[in-house]
Amino acid sequence: MKILIVEDEKELSDSIATYLKSENYICEMAPDLAKAMEKIEMYEYDCILLDITLPGGSGLEILKELKANNKLDGVLIISAKNALDDRVSGLLLGADDYLPKPFHLSELSARIASIIRRKNFAGNNLLKFDSITIDTIAKTVFVRNKELDLTKKEFELLLYFASNKNRVISKNAIAEHLWGDNMEGNNDFIYTHIKNLRRKLADAGDIEFIKSVYGMGYKFCV
Amino acid sequence: MKLLSKYNRVNLIATIIVLLISAALYYFFIESALIHQLDKSLLVEEKEITDYINESNQLPDPLDSKDQQELYTPSNDKVARKFSNVNLYSKDHHESVYYRQLEFPVVVNGRPYKADVRKSQEETEYLVQLILKITLAMVILLLMALFIINRFLLNKLWKPFNNTLQQIKKFNVSGKEEVQAEATDINEFMELNTAVRLMTKKATQDYNEIKNFTENASHEIQTPLAIIRSKLELLSQSDNLKEEQMNAIQSISETTNRLSKLNHSLLLLTKIDNKQFSGPEKVNMSALVLHHLGNYEELLLAKHIELLKEITAGINLIMNETLADILIMNLLSNAIKYNVDGGFIKVVLNEEYLCISNRGLPLRTDPSVLFDRFKKDAASSDSLGLGLSIVKKINDSYGFTTTYSYSEKVHAILVTF
Repeated sequence: MKILIVEDEKELSDSIATYLKSENYICEMAPDLAKAMEKIEMYEYDCILLDITLPGGSGLEILKELKANNKLDGVLIISAKNALDDRVSGLLLGADDYLPKPFHLSELSARIASIIRRKNFAGNNLLKFDSITIDTIAKTVFVRNKELDLTKKEFELLLYFASNKNRVISKNAIAEHLWGDNMEGNNDFIYTHIKNLRRKLADAGDIEFIKSVYGMGYKFCV
Repeated sequence: MKLLSKYNRVNLIATIIVLLISAALYYFFIESALIHQLDKSLLVEEKEITDYINESNQLPDPLDSKDQQELYTPSNDKVARKFSNVNLYSKDHHESVYYRQLEFPVVVNGRPYKADVRKSQEETEYLVQLILKITLAMVILLLMALFIINRFLLNKLWKPFNNTLQQIKKFNVSGKEEVQAEATDINEFMELNTAVRLMTKKATQDYNEIKNFTENASHEIQTPLAIIRSKLELLSQSDNLKEEQMNAIQSISETTNRLSKLNHSLLLLTKIDNKQFSGPEKVNMSALVLHHLGNYEELLLAKHIELLKEITAGINLIMNETLADILIMNLLSNAIKYNVDGGFIKVVLNEEYLCISNRGLPLRTDPSVLFDRFKKDAASSDSLGLGLSIVKKINDSYGFTTTYSYSEKVHAILVTF
């Protein structure tokens, strides 16, 4: 899977690349508009992470260019400009999603995975690892061919873990993913869901997939 | 009061007073001049009478006409020579008439007499009346002149001013329209128009600068925050972290979250203040409330919080959808965060109001300051104290009223549309 990171802050794009590389994505970087234009003309990407405010112009230009050339690259806008105008015009111009800065890398990884799944619609909608199979369309989970009875939030949680395998995910990132902006800092809420998900996975597969990492969060180990 | 009426009132009163004073002055000066004239002619009469007596050694015939009277009475007392005013009834003319009188002593054949010579003052009275009539006529004329001037001339004179005023009223600092002042050749209005043009231009410019500043500030602050957060997340992936290092990472990450949320909330408040949200649209509140309740459903279940809802279907409000979203999310998340295990949330939505009440811990702050920025219940240290002021700000901008009430461990926030 190829990802293009269009972002002028080198420190940030480095972090993103480091995080995504361990998810087996191949990352390329474009620090300004001209470089980004050049890259999208030459190559095709599964997903483009696009900052709006770039040296040399607005990132929205890239969306226009992609649209004009009927390119099918998935686009995730990552912008500090949380202005509604940008969000609306970005989505209108064909961006697939919008993630305001500052974001959790785990959230970014989950959003990228989701975009790629949608883009490769014809392909595989089954995520398999170890003894777990997740059907992202039917929203069902099988462990050793036995269907798990998960609630909606438990399914979202498992999918989130699946997009961040073997990574420490902070509790705040999980809270934000599950309930939006206003629920972070209430870790007991997450704990209940984790506990239930763990129990259901353990019942079916007898394996401890979700590990607690002291003080920081959780890690999905497969 | 209109400037015009105020000016007219002062002008009118001053003019009438001046007219009355001048009328009085006319009256006194003319009267004294006339009396002086009368006195002079009375002295002439006196001289004629004494001359006559000296020549013929007898009294002249008394005279009794309306204009002039001369009479003589024998007098033993000493008569002093003096002028005076008398009011006498004239039998012939059946009216009382003012006279200027000169009495003086005369001696005929060794016998003393008192001589009275009088001249009518009727002419003076006539003059006074004339002055009064003229003054009155002037006052009426003045009123008419002012009326005509106000009606036709001044309205026309003030037109550029009123036009500019209308433009200022319509002026919106976030709008694109400039103030179009009407051309005028009156210096004051020209100055006003120039000042207004400069001021509105400056206001628009400042507004845009502040708008850009808030956006740029957002960009400039969010980006470093994003870097800090991403580095922390990478750092937390490393193996072999010691316990205190993990604690430090965790604590930095919490603080970063707080900072990021704070920045986000303050920006939101500024944006609402600046009316930077796009125009209102029809928002189905019922659907929105149900959607958010659905999102929290499992959470409520896990926390053993009972959900009571009385939601009338199809309640529509005219407002910005994002703001409606934020409003409901803030209220519901507050009601959940500050709930207690085994508590309840009650959501009532109908055409008049939205009321979200919840069981919670007793409030330890003054309820009236809860909506202020950075005011929060002492018990909740991790809250930013901005959620409710955002709620209030959103409601204010659409003319909704927000009231908080607390009784018997139940907190309620009522939003009246």
